[in-house]
Amino acid sequence: MDVSKYKALYLQETGEHLSGIEAGLLSLEQNPGDSSVLDNLFRHYHSIKGMSASMGYEPMMRLAHAEEDLLDKLRSGALANSEAITSVLLKCLDTKKSLAERVRADEPLDIDVSSLLESLRAAASGQAARTAPFPAAAPVTGEQGLKLSSVMKVEGRLFDEVLAMVGDLFMTLSSFKTLTHGSRSIEFKNGVHQLGKTVNGLHDTIIFARMLLLEDLAAGLPRLVRDLAKETGKEVSLTTEGMDISLDRTILEGLGSPLVHIIRNAVDDGIEPADERKKAGKPLPATINIKAITRKDRVVIEVSDDGKGIDREKLKAKALTRGISAGKIENMPDSELLKLICLPGLSTAEAVTSISGRGVGMDVVKDAVESFGGSLEIESKRYLGTKIIMEMPRTSSITKALLVETSGEQFLLPISRIEKVIELETKELEAGFYEYAGTEIPVVSLAAALGIKEEPRPRRTLIVLDVKGTYGSAGKTLAGLVVDDFSDEIDAYVKPLLPPISKLREASGITVLGDGRPVFLLDVPQIISKALKGAKIS
Amino acid sequence: MSKKVLIADDTEFFRTALKDILSGAGYNVVGEAANGAEALDMAAALKPDLVILDVVMPVKNGLEAAKAISALNLPLKIVMCTSLGYEPIVEEAIRSGASGYIIKPLSESKVLNTLNSII
Repeated sequence: MDVSKYKALYLQETGEHLSGIEAGLLSLEQNPGDSSVLDNLFRHYHSIKGMSASMGYEPMMRLAHAEEDLLDKLRSGALANSEAITSVLLKCLDTKKSLAERVRADEPLDIDVSSLLESLRAAASGQAARTAPFPAAAPVTGEQGLKLSSVMKVEGRLFDEVLAMVGDLFMTLSSFKTLTHGSRSIEFKNGVHQLGKTVNGLHDTIIFARMLLLEDLAAGLPRLVRDLAKETGKEVSLTTEGMDISLDRTILEGLGSPLVHIIRNAVDDGIEPADERKKAGKPLPATINIKAITRKDRVVIEVSDDGKGIDREKLKAKALTRGISAGKIENMPDSELLKLICLPGLSTAEAVTSISGRGVGMDVVKDAVESFGGSLEIESKRYLGTKIIMEMPRTSSITKALLVETSGEQFLLPISRIEKVIELETKELEAGFYEYAGTEIPVVSLAAALGIKEEPRPRRTLIVLDVKGTYGSAGKTLAGLVVDDFSDEIDAYVKPLLPPISKLREASGITVLGDGRPVFLLDVPQIISKALKGAKIS
Repeated sequence: MSKKVLIADDTEFFRTALKDILSGAGYNVVGEAANGAEALDMAAALKPDLVILDVVMPVKNGLEAAKAISALNLPLKIVMCTSLGYEPIVEEAIRSGASGYIIKPLSESKVLNTLNSII
């Protein structure tokens, strides 16, 4: 029998069985004797065994066979389930995942499974319970633990290319649009209009096809939490909300590492050991909640824990050792102070553990979230817990943006951050404040923020911006940005900045206009905070 | 006329492999069931000449399905299909009316030799 043609089917079904096994083993930890879970697990192993034998994948077959034997004893009641058995089975699951990956990549299946087989046989003969608890699997990293379906990856690359081509189409389209302004041909104008509709439709379709559910990413999290909890000896449960929200594949993939880091920090630093929680009258197990909600075309993902919260005094002490002046630290608003945990190497953990390391992590999280045009907020209540809030677009690449001009240079501002555009006389803006919607908002000049010389002119444009985006529990933070003028609202195909210009913090991306001119998309929070800092010094 | 076959296996992998082997040898695969209960319903509805039953299936396993299908008293033959280690179940199935068995992993010759010897 030529088995090669069944490989795709094998991988697909094996993948489903492996997911089923993971879910089954985790639910077995909650209800060790659940017979329907045991029956299902048995069938998953049995199917993998049969398929692997037919395909000639021997290590996979031998593992599944030994696991099937073990499960048979558990479901018949000949053997009592234990934590040690579940741990062995989880370890075997990881190895089977690696084997499946090798099958997929057409690599030799030269993983030595003999020690696992031994552990399985020992467990089946009831010995595992008497030996020391099996070490928990190595902490899952973002790269290994939260992988999306690799079938999508193959297709995803294709979509990336198609999307890039649609981006080029948008640019070509905008040069045609410019040409229609000077043309009298109705046919030409109609043609360009039709082309525009088609390109927009094409874009929407591709964006939709690239969307994946948050659930795809979150499926790996229960295992992560379980392993981290075992390693630290804490009791933690994970709850999720809003996992049916879909995000662009690239963004979802980029969220993997940040989520792992946040959860890792929560389990390791935030959540107290069980006895400490008992003493404090806090519930057991501790809870980590991941909640996603949509805000227009953006998503807010909150990861909260009910641990001990961030210790400000310790954070201040650490910040001092990093060369931040005492005066600066004392004058920092709380939200800024909490963000200090995002500085590389700044962790308040008392002991350096294998999990949270040396405070690497939160800086990675902040960088990752900002790299796809998002922002990070931290809320923390002492003894009650910490909440990390990430806000970001649901789709990447095409951003509605307003073209603005100052001192002869053009820039783009994301429409999603613009509250209002007001034309005013220059002298009305000189106070540094503007009365808007009943409050005084700070007013800063874009030219000054960028260090460009400002030409005198009688009227300017004030753009009222929502600095933090559509999220902020304390309400919106508004600021006014002064530019010389504004022109069109465009659909900008924004490409990320690559080194060396990726160091430009004031810009979050670059796009090429219809006439070939490159224009930066401004990073609103960066520009405003930089300009405000500059204003304080002067 | 080519013989009508019903395949019951909970994995699409084995259903597809069996179907390929059988179709290639001139059998007419009239149905595919993913569990024993479906197999019973489809056996009654499709009146196949042959039913191939996997042993380990959800809802109703192969042995239960074999007993139930035999009780229908239809002019059909039942072949059990399973992995090594299930001989006692296969023997019980044969006592309850199955005509033969195939041991996985599947091979074309194994499948066809077994079926030819039965039909």
